[in-house]
Amino acid sequence: MRFFTVLGIVFYAVMIMVIGLALIVFALNLLLPADINNLLIFAQSSHNSRIVIGLSGALLILISFSFAQIILGKFQREKTIAFTTSSGQVTISLSAVEDLIRRLAGIIPEVKELRPNVVANKKGIIVEMRVVLRSEANIPELTSRLQDITKSKIQEVLGVDEQIIIRIHVAKIAHDEKDSRRSKDFEKEDRSTIPFSGYGRV
Amino acid sequence: MNRDESRNELGVLRIHKNVISSIASIAATEIEGVKRVGRDLKSGLAELLGKKFFSAIKVDISKNEEVKVQIPLIIKYGYNIPEIANRVQENVRLALEKMSNLSIKEINVNVQGIERG
Repeated sequence: MRFFTVLGIVFYAVMIMVIGLALIVFALNLLLPADINNLLIFAQSSHNSRIVIGLSGALLILISFSFAQIILGKFQREKTIAFTTSSGQVTISLSAVEDLIRRLAGIIPEVKELRPNVVANKKGIIVEMRVVLRSEANIPELTSRLQDITKSKIQEVLGVDEQIIIRIHVAKIAHDEKDSRRSKDFEKEDRSTIPFSGYGRV
Repeated sequence: MNRDESRNELGVLRIHKNVISSIASIAATEIEGVKRVGRDLKSGLAELLGKKFFSAIKVDISKNEEVKVQIPLIIKYGYNIPEIANRVQENVRLALEKMSNLSIKEINVNVQGIERG
C-alpha cells in the first residue's frame, strides 16, 4: 500500500511539474498557439494517436481514482476509541486495535493468517476476523478459543469495559506446505533405503 | 502564534513550537512500552524527502500562553495502553514544566498503532 502511495505522490508531482514547465515555455514564447494547434490537429488526425490519447486519459482517471481511494481509506481508518484522563484525552486508533489482533496469529499456531476489521459504535467494539486455518485445526474449539483470547486481550490492553463482539469468518483451510514437504521427503528417504522397493510380484 | 514568548529585564525569551515538540517526543519515548512517536501526512512526506526535522507532535499555544500538545504514538505489543498513555502524559507534562516553565493545558495522546518491541 505504501508503494502505491509513493507512486501516486511521484505521479502527481511529475504531472504538476509538466504543467508548470508547459506554462513557463508558453510564457517565454517558445511555444506558439499555432504550434499547439498543429499538435492537436496532428493528434486528432491519426487513428493510432487518438487511441493512445484515449487510453492515456482512461489510465489517468484510474490512477486518480485509486489514489483518492487510498487517501480516503486512510481517513476512514482514523476512527478511534477515546477516553479522558486528568492530563487530557487518549485516543486509540482502530488500526492500532487491528494491529494488536493481528499479533494474535503468532500466539495460536493453528491460525495461519488473520485479517481483522474493527468497528466501534454504540453497541461496543465489533471485531470481524477473517482467518485462514491450518488443516489440522478443530474449527469450533479453535474459533471459540480465538474469540476468548481476542476478547481478553482487548480488555487487558485497552482497559475498556464496553461490550466486545467478535465475529470470525473462516475464509480458508490451508494445507501446511512444511508438513507436506516433510512427508514427501520422508517418503523419498523411505524409498531410497529399501533396495528394489518399487518392485512387487504380480 | 508560532512560539511562546516571555520577557525579562534583559530581553525576550522565545521558545519555538519545535522545541516543545522535541521535548515532548523525548519524554514520550522515555516511557517503557512506547515504541516510537507516530507519523502524520506532513512528517511522513518530510521523511520521504529525507528530512527528519518535522515531528508529528502538534503544539498549540493559546493567547493566554496555555499549551496544548497532541502526541501520536506507536505502542509496543503486550503493554497496557491506558497505563502507558497515562505515564506518557505525566512524563511529558513534567518535562515541559521543568524545561520551559510553560503552563500545560492538555496533553492528548493518540495511539496510532502497535508494533513488536
